[in-house]
Amino acid sequence: MPPVRNVLNTIVLDPAHGGTDPGARGVGGIRESDLVLTLAAQIRAALEKQGFSVVQTRQGNDNPSLDDRSAMANAQRGAIFVSLHIGSTGLPGTVRVYTLPDTPAAPLAAGALLPWDRAQATFLPMSRKLAELAQAELTLHFKGSPNTAPSAPVRQLRTIAAPAIAIELSSVSVEQRETLDKMLPGVAEAVARAVAAYKTVYDATPVPGALP
Amino acid sequence: MTPRRRTWLVGGLAAAVVAGGIYFPLLRHRIRRDAHLEAQSAEQARRVLSQAAVETQAEPRVKAKLFWASADADGTLTPVTIELPLSNDPVLRAKQVLNTLLAGPVNVELRTLPPDAALLEFYLLRDGTGVADFSEPLATSLPSGIESEALAVDSIARTLEANVPQIQRLKILIHGQETETLAGHLDLTGTFLVNTKPAAAAPAAPGAVPAKLTPGSAPGKLSQPEKKP
Repeated sequence: MPPVRNVLNTIVLDPAHGGTDPGARGVGGIRESDLVLTLAAQIRAALEKQGFSVVQTRQGNDNPSLDDRSAMANAQRGAIFVSLHIGSTGLPGTVRVYTLPDTPAAPLAAGALLPWDRAQATFLPMSRKLAELAQAELTLHFKGSPNTAPSAPVRQLRTIAAPAIAIELSSVSVEQRETLDKMLPGVAEAVARAVAAYKTVYDATPVPGALP
Repeated sequence: MTPRRRTWLVGGLAAAVVAGGIYFPLLRHRIRRDAHLEAQSAEQARRVLSQAAVETQAEPRVKAKLFWASADADGTLTPVTIELPLSNDPVLRAKQVLNTLLAGPVNVELRTLPPDAALLEFYLLRDGTGVADFSEPLATSLPSGIESEALAVDSIARTLEANVPQIQRLKILIHGQETETLAGHLDLTGTFLVNTKPAAAAPAAPGAVPAKLTPGSAPGKLSQPEKKP
């Protein structure tokens, strides 16, 4: 049987936190949960302009569980997952794109189910490629950002059965929210460019666990 | 009973009811306050005892390597060598280096762990897993974010790796409990690989993933938590 390929058409945007969880908070009253919602709206507009359809794990000030967010993403076919964060630390005005650290994944037998708590393992090489493209685009625009995408065991990414990255902007420590607001259009454009570039890679790659 | 005695009795009972009405809320407040003080004292005593157990040993001073944030604020760690009295016992040694890590560097800006966090206990399992049980402020006072949480865990793992070779994996508990994330981002449900160099007292675990936290690896890199089967 020839390898199964999907076509990338859906981007799942995950504005982190929300509801009773404000995420990182700055001294000037900046709340990560508010800012990532604004960022998601801007990335959504940039992606839709490119013809992608966009699904958001939350639209307003609610806080779906980490597993609910994963379930929403895993229900999509031909999709990638982008989690959005504003950190508390780091050089203000920089952006980092995270994937899970590399771990050797056991080969998946044909028709086998992906274990939920290790769903991301087989997608890591694809996530890594997406992260490299996104980090390169963001570092061009935001000087001082790392040249290579770092890795960290981000809990949200572990249960995503698709290429998945987490983007974190620095940081809520700035005095004025406007400083961060000014970053958002640049981040949105950079992410849209990276996703467009990644589509050619995704469309040519056999997707682990994909149904024929 | 004469009417006069009855009046005195009723009056006395009424006075007792009024006095009770005033005294019982005061008593309840005092009991709650004492219970709170007792809990605080227990926590303090626990910290003092664990600290004393560490400090009363007459150990040789050796050069310990501790990992705090880099002054460049670039999300990496920098090793700092400090002369410390360190025990040969791996559990005591782990407590000593982690308490020093918690105490923080000279430049407080380079801290990776909150100043009000404390190491409550440290255990070393026979398979080489070090279990570090921290007080709640490790999670509640740590600035939320992927980078800040990764730096916190990595500073703990790398400090243990550099000073306690018997520890091969690290499990972090918060007040004796397993938690899903540190402060909303970093996965604490598994164990972190610390050291894959063979140690005499610690056999390699089956299915261990190659470590990122080896001396030659870039600072600030964490391995993915290993899931227990």
